[in-house]
Amino acid sequence: MSAHVRFDPPPPDIRTAARFVLEARPKPPADLGSRISRDSRHKRSHTGAKRAQYRKKRKFELGRQAANTKLGPKRIHEVRVRGGNKKFRAMRLESGTYSWGSEAVSRSTRIVAVVYNASNNELVRTNTLVKGAIVQIDATPFRQWYENRYAKVLGKKKRQAAEEDKSDATKARSRHLLAKIAARKGAVDPALDSQFGSGRLYAIITSRPGQSGRCDGYVLEGKELEFYLRKIRNKK
Amino acid sequence: MSEQQNERAYQKQAAVFLNAKSASKKSTRWYKDIGLGFKTPTTAIEGTYIDKKCPFTSDVSIRGRILTGTVKSTKMTNTVILRREYLHYIPKYQRYEKRHKNIAAHLSPAFIGVEVGDTVTVGQCRPLSKTIRFNVIKHQKQQQKGSKQFQKF
Repeated sequence: MSAHVRFDPPPPDIRTAARFVLEARPKPPADLGSRISRDSRHKRSHTGAKRAQYRKKRKFELGRQAANTKLGPKRIHEVRVRGGNKKFRAMRLESGTYSWGSEAVSRSTRIVAVVYNASNNELVRTNTLVKGAIVQIDATPFRQWYENRYAKVLGKKKRQAAEEDKSDATKARSRHLLAKIAARKGAVDPALDSQFGSGRLYAIITSRPGQSGRCDGYVLEGKELEFYLRKIRNKK
Repeated sequence: MSEQQNERAYQKQAAVFLNAKSASKKSTRWYKDIGLGFKTPTTAIEGTYIDKKCPFTSDVSIRGRILTGTVKSTKMTNTVILRREYLHYIPKYQRYEKRHKNIAAHLSPAFIGVEVGDTVTVGQCRPLSKTIRFNVIKHQKQQQKGSKQFQKF
């Protein structure tokens, strides 16, 4: 009996045995179906000369299919990249961490809709999450934080009519705490205030969902907010 | 302020936070010293332009080669073509021949009044576009040759 060749006995269970057989087949190399390359050898040179092809596409020049992250229940694919590192390709996301810059608070919130994209209107129509897209996020975590801290109600008109007693602004606090709150200055821009009234804040995505698998960003304020509001209004 | 916002996305300096509650009256502008003894122009510090490829007001760093040349064309938006002339030696005939190379360089809005024929110093930076790997860091105007103006040297 030759000791060189050894076969591991297949596992007794039929389902795992089937998987065992399938996994024994050599896997095709990844992403070669798309054959996207990022080389510049196919482009004309600075002088305009057409460059002859003298070698095949190399793996280090590879590109992969775009993620085109949509809104929906979280679905993230992990990709093995050069050097053995990982990239998290978000295919569908529904929430992210957004920070309210002027108040220096960050909260994890639900993303409601994509509202504007400077590059492509198609991405707005299909609700695609990309870096630099303007989205509407759920305002409740920020409103709760604000009412807790400043004991003032945000987005006055609608909310006060609905739930006067339930909001954090009117809960019982100690005298010491009330004194501290009185010392804090909680002025909010009227443009933001009205957004709180509708329960949706405008924010911009600053992470790259197709690379990191996250859809984080910051709440739009001031001149930037004005700029984008104007753009959105002009569209409609 | 609206002269800067000509694009579909909001133009701003990445390093500056515009919405701080305790906003100082003077608008914050981020600029840097590019090093190697090059002075950052006052137009860069006091100006209001937003250019993400300007060596003084954005995060492109100047490293590697520093070259000079004469401006050949300024027709492209925010870029110039330089012409660098040099002599190539032919050993058989023990003589030289003239050769030249054109370089595309990014021209920051900090430099105003750059015309064809001016001398310009460029520094190497990371690729900014297909052909641009240099950024203008100094500009010396062309001397008026044979003009009737009195020149003192």
